[in-house]
Amino acid sequence: MKNDNEPRRRFLRQAIAILPASALTPVVMTQAGCSQSTASSGTPLKAVESDYVPVYFTDAEWAFVRAAVDELIPVDGPGAGGLDAGVPEFIDRQMETPYGHGKLWYMHGPFHPEAVPELGYQLGLVPRDVYRHGIAACNAWCMKQYGKTFPALDASTRVQVLEQLEGGKIHLDAVPAKLFFGTLLKNTKEGYFADPMYGGNKNMAGWKMIGFPGARADFADWVDQPGARYALGPVSVLGEQA
Amino acid sequence: MAIKKDKVDAVMVGFGWTGAIMSMELTEAGLNVLALERGEMQDTATTAKYPNIADELAYAIRGKLYQDLSKETLTFRHNPDGFAVPYRQHGAMLLGNGVGGAGFHWNGLTWRPQASDLQLRSHYEQRYGKRFIPEGMTIQDFGVAYDELEPYFTRFEEVAGISGKAGNVMGKIVAGGNRFEAWRSKEYPLPPLQDYYGAQLFAKAARELGHEPFPIPAANASQPYTNPYGVRLGPCNFCGFCEDFGCYMYAKSSPQSTIHPALLNKPNFEMRTRCQVIRVNRDASGKVATGVTYIDAQGREVEQPADIVFLSAFQMHNVRLLLLSGIGQPYDPATGEGVVGRNFAYQMSGGVNAFLPKGTQLNPFIGAGAGGQSIDDFNGDNFDHGPLGFIGGANVRHNRTGGRPIGQAGAPKSAKKWGSGWKSAVQDSYQRMMTIVAQGSVMSYRDNYLSLDPTYKDAYGQPLLRVTFDWHENEFKMTKYTVGQAERIARALTDEVDVNVRKSGTHFDTRVYQSTHTTGGAVMGADPKTSVVNRYLQNWDVHNVFVLGASAFPQNFGYNPTGLVGALSYWAARAIREQYLKSPGPLVQA
Amino acid sequence: MITYRKTLLLAASLFALSRACIAFADDVVSANEAALVKRGEYLARAADCMACHTARGGKPFAGGLPLQTPIGVIYSTNITPDKATGIGDYRYDDFDRALRHGVAKNGDTLYPAMPYPSYASVKPTDVKALYAYFMHAVPAVHRSQTANEIPWPLSVRWPLALWRHAFVPAAATDQVADASATDSQLARGRYLVESLGHCGACHTSRGTVFEEKALTDAGGSAFLSGAVVEQWFAKNLRSDMADGLGQWSDDDIVAFLRSGRNAHSAAFGGMSDVVQQSTQYLNDGDLHSIAAYLKSLQPAGTGSAQMTYDDTAAKALHAGELTSPGARIFVNNCAACHRTDGKGYAAVFPRLALSSTVNSSDPTSLIHIVLRGSAMPGTPSAPTSFAMPGFSQRLSDQQVADVVSFIRSSWGNHAPSVNASTVSKVRAHTE
Repeated sequence: MKNDNEPRRRFLRQAIAILPASALTPVVMTQAGCSQSTASSGTPLKAVESDYVPVYFTDAEWAFVRAAVDELIPVDGPGAGGLDAGVPEFIDRQMETPYGHGKLWYMHGPFHPEAVPELGYQLGLVPRDVYRHGIAACNAWCMKQYGKTFPALDASTRVQVLEQLEGGKIHLDAVPAKLFFGTLLKNTKEGYFADPMYGGNKNMAGWKMIGFPGARADFADWVDQPGARYALGPVSVLGEQA
Repeated sequence: MAIKKDKVDAVMVGFGWTGAIMSMELTEAGLNVLALERGEMQDTATTAKYPNIADELAYAIRGKLYQDLSKETLTFRHNPDGFAVPYRQHGAMLLGNGVGGAGFHWNGLTWRPQASDLQLRSHYEQRYGKRFIPEGMTIQDFGVAYDELEPYFTRFEEVAGISGKAGNVMGKIVAGGNRFEAWRSKEYPLPPLQDYYGAQLFAKAARELGHEPFPIPAANASQPYTNPYGVRLGPCNFCGFCEDFGCYMYAKSSPQSTIHPALLNKPNFEMRTRCQVIRVNRDASGKVATGVTYIDAQGREVEQPADIVFLSAFQMHNVRLLLLSGIGQPYDPATGEGVVGRNFAYQMSGGVNAFLPKGTQLNPFIGAGAGGQSIDDFNGDNFDHGPLGFIGGANVRHNRTGGRPIGQAGAPKSAKKWGSGWKSAVQDSYQRMMTIVAQGSVMSYRDNYLSLDPTYKDAYGQPLLRVTFDWHENEFKMTKYTVGQAERIARALTDEVDVNVRKSGTHFDTRVYQSTHTTGGAVMGADPKTSVVNRYLQNWDVHNVFVLGASAFPQNFGYNPTGLVGALSYWAARAIREQYLKSPGPLVQA
Repeated sequence: MITYRKTLLLAASLFALSRACIAFADDVVSANEAALVKRGEYLARAADCMACHTARGGKPFAGGLPLQTPIGVIYSTNITPDKATGIGDYRYDDFDRALRHGVAKNGDTLYPAMPYPSYASVKPTDVKALYAYFMHAVPAVHRSQTANEIPWPLSVRWPLALWRHAFVPAAATDQVADASATDSQLARGRYLVESLGHCGACHTSRGTVFEEKALTDAGGSAFLSGAVVEQWFAKNLRSDMADGLGQWSDDDIVAFLRSGRNAHSAAFGGMSDVVQQSTQYLNDGDLHSIAAYLKSLQPAGTGSAQMTYDDTAAKALHAGELTSPGARIFVNNCAACHRTDGKGYAAVFPRLALSSTVNSSDPTSLIHIVLRGSAMPGTPSAPTSFAMPGFSQRLSDQQVADVVSFIRSSWGNHAPSVNASTVSKVRAHTE
């Protein structure tokens, strides 16, 4: 709509900038006091730096998340691994969003967890709880089973544990195993592919893996080139270019 | 004590497509119109800013533009004996909110139904016999015929700037269009969108099988366009961020891009946001509405008097407001009596993921919300249902809306869901996977209905709307047949296909995205015993209440609903301007 | 049912009431009052009184808009006919002295924020119409003058009187000798542009004490040849090909003033407001007169060669060949709307190729709009306010410089490149 943010007619300062004490001598116009400029440094906003310190997860939880992500999206295979892509940072930061607090969901009782699965999620747990309680319960299970917490297990054992969680073969009292695994996997994939400004998909690694152009969102030149190889690398919302 | 505002001539409850259309029509007629919207202001420049709008996580995954379920949601149960639990997370249907409603962030497929769709019961009885319609299936005629509505489809399409290719002009079949479509008086206002590669492949395969594919009619402008209100749209550039997102190109037809610039500054129009209407008020006789009551942003109760009340709040909320206001007799599935909430329907879709040969460059990110190609051979009553034993059909199409990595980068069913196997599968599939969908009709049934929930409430303390709904055998047969047709087309392109079709006996799953094409609950019809509004969308009981939107559909068809929603709004507006305003009262004698 | 006809009836009855209370100057004929008032309303649109004399969100003409100056903030005055706080007790002569001579009722010289140097050329017959409008049709609003925030001794006014004597021409008479009196359309156009429209207040560069270098075309080719105003470059309106109106037809100019857009360009920055509040209301005849007059202005000498489109850049971008930083930034930020061929989309997003804005030597507007965005005006003839977002968050000074330089050297554009420090200055002084 209109340029509501700009004071109108400020240009007229030029016409009236006549200092009474020196009416007939030239006045040097300065810009001082003319605007409330944001005067940013002129450098674009960057994604959060890579030496990330988690704000939600404890050290033990952080180790768990990192270990799990490393198996869910490992270094093997095409493209970057989840750790290099910053997925754990993404998940930690999501825990501080309304999503993490369950604010996007209807969370009034009464709760009926026994409702059939097709009627959807009926638990009182929000994502923060799912991780906090799920990680604790899973670590406890691993201690019982292997004498080590999840992060301390070797890769193939971790994979086994994840597979069992996925299949609901492990019973965790605090959080249904499938819910815990499902949340972890969903957030991991989100972290791999979401815009880098959320902390994951660092250097647009996830997008590069599949060849997604990111936030360019303009293909007027390419609709009429069926089957052509798309020539451009991705760009992020904040302007990171590849 | 409640605050009381000055009376207006007409008040819109909800300011999406129907609220904008009716506001425009009535302000043109000289009325003072007030639109109340529970959500926030939304406009292209602010809400759909480039490049910030190209943010899949915010909009498509976390649902930034959707209704905030934490404040108000629905409850669901599968049958009238069950206990309904809340729809706590968005899944099957994505409820809209804010100025423009879901019209701000839809995909834009804009169809006209078949003529037979509007007279479904009569048509099926006539062609297949009364006994072809199963007991418990409560399909009805709309009470208005396609021929009557034809000019209003044209009107909506011209305002919206629909891009397409006509297939039947004045009864004459025209090559390149949908040979099955209901007749139209003229061509679309804009030429069809260009076909991306996948659409070309679909069309080629469909032709090889003897079909005549056509471009999907799209509310995505294929070129810059000025509509009859003087409002101009930009062209779709296939950005791939359509459904769930606002359009920064001003190309997706929305109330914002087609109506608001000509409406919002009118001296006889006012809009108030953050106003949650909690009921329609009536006088002592109960036969005349006096206005509405709403809760404003500060939480204060405000009485808004009005001469005419329009419920334009989306199908679900319209029905809920009628129930909360005590207008009309609520439907009881046990007795089959009552009307408010009856004939709720939905859609059932299935489809096929086709994995084209390695090396194919589909460039899936080249997407338009309503781009693509379609065939209609298996929709409506375009085929002989006799031997098949079901009612309804599906629109079969390839409609590529984008290649967004979180939600749209698929892989074969057999692929691992995580690990390096997943990485390989996703990377391998990205450029060669395309989907052919069969979007199918859902009939109305005695035991699918809407009512007020006895347990759960919204943030204002009012009962939520309870949806009693499950699939029926008729739809399983329909989907098996139509997805089978989609599979045939897919197999003309590749052997590597994954078929997604619902198996008979499975239950409606609120977790799996279906569509937001929910219909009914305040249906239109010729008989007040089986409908809530008459053919002009006027409430049978309270003549100065009109209920706009798909709540009027007595059952749902295999098309996206907005074309008919728009046409009915213009149709009702005409009746109001030419008859009702001159002589307020029932427009149809019961 | 209430319709807005009632509002008009109310206005008419207020007008009738006010008639009884105001003394007219002797030569205003009561029988033509209504027509005079209506003409005055039209002229007030042409002169765009609203722009300064209405605060954002304030009542029309009630003043209170802050105008930033290096000597402090001054607030526009209340020119509604309120007796206590407005001009309700202004006789006709008081009104004329203020409008065309720059002297307030109390004898103070007005700050030339009020463009009385231009308004000096307004004919008395038009002043009478304006007076009638302001006194009889504008609703009186009781709003006291917001005190100017100018510290002493800068607030002393008498030096302004010296400026006024030096730079304000004598007030016009109704019989104006006009070199082009034979062409009434040109004469009308000259009149609208030079006096009421005061276009030179933005589009003419200023001298050392900030007087416009030329108030009329007769004063020299500095007139309307472009000036920087509020961090926008108000472009050259003379007939130069590259950066003036040389490529625009009369109809292009008319369309631009009526709707804020045409095949070449779209109104942005300060001009968006001018179209929104002023020029969209001018009738066809006046718009064509303005166009004819502007097209009659000789080039300023900034570049008269015909511009030709060159598709080299378009081909490279289309193929994804991004050989310069500016090309890459263009594809990632600008091409979605302005297209890789620089042609934009007709009457939606303006073209950059061969654009007079792009080819202006002064890049201030370009930098400003890239950083902060802008929106077209919405008018009944073209209601959609197509908006461009700002890129200040996304692009550094160097990146803005790169992309602006790229735009200025592609598709046939020939304008000097831009460096990061220039961008930095514009960034610091805009928001």
